[in-house]
Amino acid sequence: MFARLLLALVLAASAWPATAAGPLEVTTRILVERRVAARDGTTQIRTVPATRAVPGDRLTVVLAYRNTGARPIDNLVLANPVPRQIAYRGPAEGSPLPELSVDGRQFGALESLRVALASAGSRAAGPDDVTAVRWRLNGPVAAGASGTLSFRGVLK
Amino acid sequence: MLTKESQRLLLSGVAVAATIGTAQAQSTTGTAAGTSISNTATASFTVNGAAQTASSNTATFVVDRKVNLTVAKLQAGNTQVNLSQTGAAAAFSVTNNTNAPQDFLLAAAQALSVGILPASDNYDLTNLHVYVDANGNNTYDPGVDVATFIDELAPDASKTVFIVGDVPSTASANLAYVGLNVTVGAGGTVNSQGAALVATVGADRDNQVDIVFADNDSEGDGDLLGDAARNGQSWAYAGFEVAVRSLNLTVNKTATVVTDGVSTLNPKALPGATVQYCLTVNNATLTTPATNVSLTDVIPANTTYVPGSITVGGIGAGGVCLVGGVPIADDGSTTGLYTGSFNATTKTVTATIPLLIGGGSVAASFRVTLN
Repeated sequence: MFARLLLALVLAASAWPATAAGPLEVTTRILVERRVAARDGTTQIRTVPATRAVPGDRLTVVLAYRNTGARPIDNLVLANPVPRQIAYRGPAEGSPLPELSVDGRQFGALESLRVALASAGSRAAGPDDVTAVRWRLNGPVAAGASGTLSFRGVLK
Repeated sequence: MLTKESQRLLLSGVAVAATIGTAQAQSTTGTAAGTSISNTATASFTVNGAAQTASSNTATFVVDRKVNLTVAKLQAGNTQVNLSQTGAAAAFSVTNNTNAPQDFLLAAAQALSVGILPASDNYDLTNLHVYVDANGNNTYDPGVDVATFIDELAPDASKTVFIVGDVPSTASANLAYVGLNVTVGAGGTVNSQGAALVATVGADRDNQVDIVFADNDSEGDGDLLGDAARNGQSWAYAGFEVAVRSLNLTVNKTATVVTDGVSTLNPKALPGATVQYCLTVNNATLTTPATNVSLTDVIPANTTYVPGSITVGGIGAGGVCLVGGVPIADDGSTTGLYTGSFNATTKTVTATIPLLIGGGSVAASFRVTLN
């Protein structure tokens, strides 16, 4: 019991290290697509929190940010390493296009990325090769302003 | 444009967060059930020109159990059987497509829906069993293949199972159609048959591995007959067809005077002479063995049976016994490959040959004295 409490404290401390001090609050959620039969006979796709998820399910990773400080935030960059069990599939509907990376160092559009081969040379990168995404916001985030960014993936 | 400082911080943040992913072996069934998947984002920004960083919370979920399996008949066409054959087998493969090791429960059924059963199905096997292939040779080995469920089958792994039964002697028997029903059971305990899985219903809970059925309808008929989709079960079917109804068996019988009490070189059929009868049975159907061949012969009038003179299993050609077989007691007490007896009341000699291979011959002999 004591160990569990301690673990919870450690997790809580590590999960919110910057928000306590800084003016930017970032939260992430993972959603899963569910096909639901509607009354009119059509099939609707709903996204629900990913509590029940099996290989092959379509996931959406959502980042929400908010400027909780009094001054505007400039040069905001949000980066999200793609969990290795999730295959990147593209930006979610309504979300700006992220920059992608296959190595965690070099970011750019998917067409510009190449994957080094074990033998000499390299090949063009595909969605499955993406290991990290990031968004660079153009304008400043005013005090109290917020937004969401998200990308889609498939559970491997 | 990023400042050098914030770029450096951003990159270090990526490097730290990238270690969160759980190291798990991947397979074609996907991420193993129970794997925890976490996501954390990092942010870098400037406030009044001062660089700062922030991390998000960590969103986590547990991968649930996606239950799926494939059951297929291994052999092409029907199993060819003979009337009265015991231990006839049909082979099936069972593949675990679940993202976790599972047990598989096996059952055989002959009461199948009309529509699955072919119209020519007209008999049932008796003594029906399902056994798992123990040594992976895809051939049913009686006494070796004895397990009745598949224990702890790994994701993507397959096992061969057999439906085994006895064919009745009914002359009209033509085709028996059987179904193999495989149900996914709980894994985790070696050498113990897990209970059939039940899909998790109700509210999603994320502190446990939910069970989600993802199997197809085996017959592909929209759940109409037999199997249904998403039930954690699968079916496959096979027929046991009576292929050979009659064998070309022939018996050749000869009599040889062994002694007449007068001449040893050229004995004649005089009163008191001893005569050996030789019966040679031949199976001319090369592809099919004959089982339980029974020879009976009533000794001729005016002869007396020589006690203890029956032999079975000798080698004969053209009706002549060349090599003697195994001596058989008159009272039928001999046990072993060959059996036989002499009934003094009916004066009948009986010899039984349990297996006569295609193209094979076996001889039996007995002796009488002339009165």
